[in-house]
Amino acid sequence: MASRPIVLPGELLASNPKVAGSGTYIENGKVYAKFLGLLDRTDTSVRVIPLKGRYIPSVGDVVIGVVREVAGNGWVVDINSPYQGFLPASENPEMRQNRKPNDVLDIDDVIIAKVLNIDPKMKVTLTMKDRMCRAVRFGRIIGINPARVPRVIGKKGSMIRMFKTELGVQIVVGKNGLIWVSGDRRKVNIVEEAVYIIESEAHTDGLTDRITEFVKRKKGELNGQ
Amino acid sequence: MKLNDDIILDIRRDYVLGKLRDGERIDGRAFDEYREIKIETGIIEKAEGSALVSIGNTQVIVGIKMQPGEPFPDTPDKGIIITNAELVPLASPTFEPGPPDENSVELSRVVDRGIRESEAVDLSKLVIEEGEKVWLVFIDIHALDDDGNLMDASSLAAISALLTTTVPAERFDIGEDFPLPVRDLPVSVTTRIIGKYGIVDPCKDEEYASKNFITITTDSEDNIVAMQKSGSYLMGEEMLMEIMETSIRKARDNRKLLKEV
Amino acid sequence: MDSKDIKLIIDGKRLDGRGFEDLRPIKMRVGVLKRADGSCYLEMGKNKVVAAVFGPREVHPRHLADPIKAVVRYRYNMAPFSVEERKRPGPDRRSVEISKVSREAIEAIVMKELFPRSGIDIFVEVLQADAGSRTACLNAASVALVDAGVPMKGMISSVAVAKVDDVLVLDPMKEEDNYGQADIPFAFFIRNDRIESIALLQMDGRVSKEEFVQALEMAKRGAMKIYEMQKEAIKTKYIMESEGEVNEIE
Repeated sequence: MASRPIVLPGELLASNPKVAGSGTYIENGKVYAKFLGLLDRTDTSVRVIPLKGRYIPSVGDVVIGVVREVAGNGWVVDINSPYQGFLPASENPEMRQNRKPNDVLDIDDVIIAKVLNIDPKMKVTLTMKDRMCRAVRFGRIIGINPARVPRVIGKKGSMIRMFKTELGVQIVVGKNGLIWVSGDRRKVNIVEEAVYIIESEAHTDGLTDRITEFVKRKKGELNGQ
Repeated sequence: MKLNDDIILDIRRDYVLGKLRDGERIDGRAFDEYREIKIETGIIEKAEGSALVSIGNTQVIVGIKMQPGEPFPDTPDKGIIITNAELVPLASPTFEPGPPDENSVELSRVVDRGIRESEAVDLSKLVIEEGEKVWLVFIDIHALDDDGNLMDASSLAAISALLTTTVPAERFDIGEDFPLPVRDLPVSVTTRIIGKYGIVDPCKDEEYASKNFITITTDSEDNIVAMQKSGSYLMGEEMLMEIMETSIRKARDNRKLLKEV
Repeated sequence: MDSKDIKLIIDGKRLDGRGFEDLRPIKMRVGVLKRADGSCYLEMGKNKVVAAVFGPREVHPRHLADPIKAVVRYRYNMAPFSVEERKRPGPDRRSVEISKVSREAIEAIVMKELFPRSGIDIFVEVLQADAGSRTACLNAASVALVDAGVPMKGMISSVAVAKVDDVLVLDPMKEEDNYGQADIPFAFFIRNDRIESIALLQMDGRVSKEEFVQALEMAKRGAMKIYEMQKEAIKTKYIMESEGEVNEIE
């Protein structure tokens, strides 16, 4: 695999605006890096993969959030971002006639939702009309730095798959750094610990292998007991 | 209003509690175990004395400045210690610029009490002219990174800085410089109370799990020189005695580090 | 004291032994604070400063938020023990002015419009002050912003030029600042390894236009050296951290 060099803000990446991808900006026809990240260059595009930073919502993202306010027409949801999300009552399939929003979701309830729309003022609208989405009424939420999310997912979802097959847990990774895990309590404990390891020491090669080994060992300890 | 920055810490609260129930802490420490403590002194040349103390990721810098001033009318034969803490917004996403809030006032007062009550600094040697002029000792606590237990980091930094302080007499034309007379080593030990558990040297995740703590400061002879129970909770006698034992023992350990300063 | 009373250049050297166009020794460390989104500790001569960046984050109180762009705050703060005479804690008029011009320099390169209604906070603590602390702070702030992953057009590097004993010197230290004939702090917007424009400019004292042009050129050469160090400091931290990512990230 081609190595991905580190780029800093303002580094010139291309002279053809057509190739500009995420993490870049165009000025006078030139494409520059917008923030610190890894340069990912293909024949048709350049993009910068962020190494740090807050979660900034983008349409289609799966996020996990906490209800902070109940309004007459929906819910204000904290999505671990500079921007709160709004889930309109009409975007929650659990809303039926004669039910008020606070009968369905109350303050501090946790939901898995999708980003439906973002207006130019960064008003973020969420939806729960998707098979992934639900109110979280059991399981556990784990929180990590959003920039580490790709590591938890792994290459082509390999890390998530490993958790699922090794431990038989359900897991949904929110793009905003919140992760929902459900299953046997002790196995969820293993996932939680593994995720924190991934978050804190992800900088060495063979991460997936090492985490797999960790999970297998912990699972062995469980079965041995 | 809840700050958004804390959502991750909020979530980790359950993790902290779950671990404690299993008899563990999230970073694998024993309940009475400190994170690694590092003390660096003499880092601010312009200060009369200074120290940077880190306990794990928590970092506090203390600088000592001295100048001549008027004594208090009731203690004409003693120098004056003034302790001030700035929880600058750089140290935590939840600190805001502005005048000291109740937490920084509490922090500076608890640190001050330990130093004052242990009579760590011999204030009678800080008289320039009795009733007229004495040395003012400013202890300025500057928190740089708050990953929990600013209290103990601050008091360790304060005493370390005092230990390395030179009285700047020459600068003010009042004789020769001399080392600040420090004759005791007060050490504070802070225990976070989370449910029925008491854990020393809480990290930030642990502090978020509970607002309740108790700080006990002891001198070189294991006397208690300052205490502060903080938070709205009730503490049983038995727990208090247990914490006191632990605090005295841990203070002895930490005092050894000061002897190397 | 009159500037004539003190000789600042002796045998073609400055009092600290530097040549006219030498910087003071500079040290930087990136990511030194755990709680901040980005941070940098920097020494420039006897200046010791630490910068932290938080955000973009929600603005409190809410009415301060701007519906179309991020609000940038910059707080230059001197520790009470950072100077010879203890400084009273909190902002004075000088700190307020420095905070303002520094914030404006940074605002010019941060892509505020990407984050309406949010806030980006930059806090810089001067632990020890020498001459040129504002330039040291800006250099640290620029690195901390990059470390925080904040979108920017480029970076900022800052240095001052002083006129002492009728010659121009780069990066003045205390005595040159106190007794010199002029002090000109600069900060430059640097993109793709090139200085593109001036982000901060102040001046007090007296210089001719020709001297100013010379000072500008000298400052640009100095700023480029600082910029190389800033880049190096960031890359040193992240090359280690990112080596695994090549294979781990989709």
